[in-house]
Amino acid sequence: MPFSWAPMWHFRQPLQLKQVMLCGGIMAYLACSLPIWALATSPPNQDESVSRGKALYEKACLLCHGKTGKGNGPDAFYLGAYSAPRPRDFTEAEFKFRSTSSGELPSDEDIFTTITKGIPGFMPAFQGLSEADRWDIVRYVKSFSTLYQEAERTPIILPPGPLPATTKSVSRGREVYALLDCAKCHRPQTLQPGGLYDMGELRDRRDLKILPPDLSSPSSFKNGHRPQDIAQSILTGLDGTPMASFRETLSAQPEDLWHLVNYLLSLSRSP
Amino acid sequence: MNPPCPTIAKYLLLLVSVILLSPLLSTPEAQAIPAFARKYDVNCTVCHTRAPRLNRTGERFLENGYQLPGTEDGGTTKKFRLGDLTLDDVTNYLGFRLRGNALRTVDYARHAPGTNIDGNPEDRTEFGFPEVFSLFTAGTVTNNVGFFAEIESNLEEDETGVERAFLTFNNIGQHDWAHLRVGKFDPSAYSSYATLRQQFELVGDNSVDNGSFMLPTMNRIGLTPAAFASKFHGLFDRSGTAILPTDPSLFHAVAEMGLDIHGRPFGEWFLYQVGILNGANEPFGDSNNPKDWYVMTRFDVAQSDYFSANFSGFAYFGSNNVKVSTMADVNWSRYGFATNVRYYMVDIYAAFVVDHIANLPNSFNNTFDETATGLTVEANVLATDRLLLGIRFDHLDAGGLRTQRTSNSLLALIAKFYMRSNIALFLRDDINLRPAQGGRTPERNFRNAFFVGADVAF
Repeated sequence: MPFSWAPMWHFRQPLQLKQVMLCGGIMAYLACSLPIWALATSPPNQDESVSRGKALYEKACLLCHGKTGKGNGPDAFYLGAYSAPRPRDFTEAEFKFRSTSSGELPSDEDIFTTITKGIPGFMPAFQGLSEADRWDIVRYVKSFSTLYQEAERTPIILPPGPLPATTKSVSRGREVYALLDCAKCHRPQTLQPGGLYDMGELRDRRDLKILPPDLSSPSSFKNGHRPQDIAQSILTGLDGTPMASFRETLSAQPEDLWHLVNYLLSLSRSP
Repeated sequence: MNPPCPTIAKYLLLLVSVILLSPLLSTPEAQAIPAFARKYDVNCTVCHTRAPRLNRTGERFLENGYQLPGTEDGGTTKKFRLGDLTLDDVTNYLGFRLRGNALRTVDYARHAPGTNIDGNPEDRTEFGFPEVFSLFTAGTVTNNVGFFAEIESNLEEDETGVERAFLTFNNIGQHDWAHLRVGKFDPSAYSSYATLRQQFELVGDNSVDNGSFMLPTMNRIGLTPAAFASKFHGLFDRSGTAILPTDPSLFHAVAEMGLDIHGRPFGEWFLYQVGILNGANEPFGDSNNPKDWYVMTRFDVAQSDYFSANFSGFAYFGSNNVKVSTMADVNWSRYGFATNVRYYMVDIYAAFVVDHIANLPNSFNNTFDETATGLTVEANVLATDRLLLGIRFDHLDAGGLRTQRTSNSLLALIAKFYMRSNIALFLRDDINLRPAQGGRTPERNFRNAFFVGADVAF
């Protein structure tokens, strides 16, 4: 059966390359000249910053964190599927990676740091955005929850350190590891993830199976693998996960924190 | 006459066995290491629903010239400066992909096209892994300048060459207003249902070339999405090589030479694409003057609650881009729609495409059908963290020489087990839903095909 409406889509004369190039040139000229007036901006203020943050968020963050910030963007499910992690729900203002105490909101700098550094395995580092752009996103992310207007956010202070990774320090760290029962979730003897995870008992706040990090691979630590990053994770805990804060437990002998960090880093496969 | 699925019980038993045994081969941690994952230190699942299919982030990354969505980080992320040069670790540029069927069983009847002679039934089981090896390099030279090159070796077809190679110039004018691609590329890359990155790999035709501008002997049709296929019997490219009815072509070609521009100047909800190509199967050179050109628009809606949807429409206008057996030039054009809907673990694709031949010589008036259509509908479900199940329905209403063209309907099933996010084992079965016709038409002589294979990217 003939295709009746097709001929109307054809030019009487076939399109020549010269004509196409001419049209392309005009379009390119228009595209290049428009930014001249687009550059004019007024001095930044909080509202404008949030507005710019929204525009950036919708390009760079929305696909995982969702339009409403609930961590349910179009790509959120496939990130971990039936296991953790899922993207943060900004409306609940519960963050894993903070310098503040467990249960507190993160500082602005914490959010900025996560955007800048990313999360190994699951969120790329957005260092390609300017510092101002990243701060704009921080302000927009905070706008998803009213809690930021009321809650106090006091970064905890790490004890003096880190300490040199001597044999004695590592040995003490091993003892601390046992005292804190870290092996319940992490199994250093096999240098593999394991413990409760193997039994499917470790769950995050969304009841998704969660995998403890491989302690022999510090580069996979989601909150960073510098001694300070590891110390911070131990003190603050990772809210929303089974990783509790050990701040109270370690407060009697603060130097044990750094011994533990030295022991954890000694498990690394890399030199 | 053979039944359509003579040994389906055997295949099902094998499928269940492989799925049950697969966990023994796996490791507990899902990691991905291909080049972009290495560069950005993330899992494959940041950009793929399950490889090779892209998620929205992956699509935006592709649109943005291999830069993170919303950024222009091509000159900064993992880069260092050496004088005027912006350099990167070579492992962040290089990757490879190995895929193929370790085992395949194909059941069809050979035939003599255009005659009433029935052919001999064929029921072959072959070992064949790997069939396709791809080495690719991709990334950014500096801010807003990207590149991609892929060398593919198809061991079954005994061909090795540059599959795709192009440069991208991104964010011309303002961010996301215009991205330019120039070189040998896949035109449908930004549409709702792209030709490449299929969970169901393209399986080529089995045919015998009978010479320039001569009809080939079609033993078996290819197993490709009907919507993307050429759909016509009796078309030849400008060098006289037959274009087989299931070869992806025009807007859905695996790669063609040309340039295109795309962008999202009005926000995330709308994408435009316009392009110009040498034409169907045109290599380097300028034998097809004037050129083919196309336009595509895509609308993205719903970006929350684990739900997203988009639909796109396109028109591809061919000008003297193919020939018929008399060597006369004809215009081969294509129009169509595609959509993709994703909700939690369910991922659905559909495309309906109409092909039309214009300027056909009068001598073909009663022997050549000028219009052909193809419908493809596919659904994938991520049943567990590692197991993807898929089903695809294809309906091809072929055009071209009336002595050969007919319609067919195929159903394909796949179970894909991801040992890691970059290593997948799969079982696949393709079934012809139409009754066999003694092998007198290529669309009907195919009965069943079963594959066991692997897909590895590193």
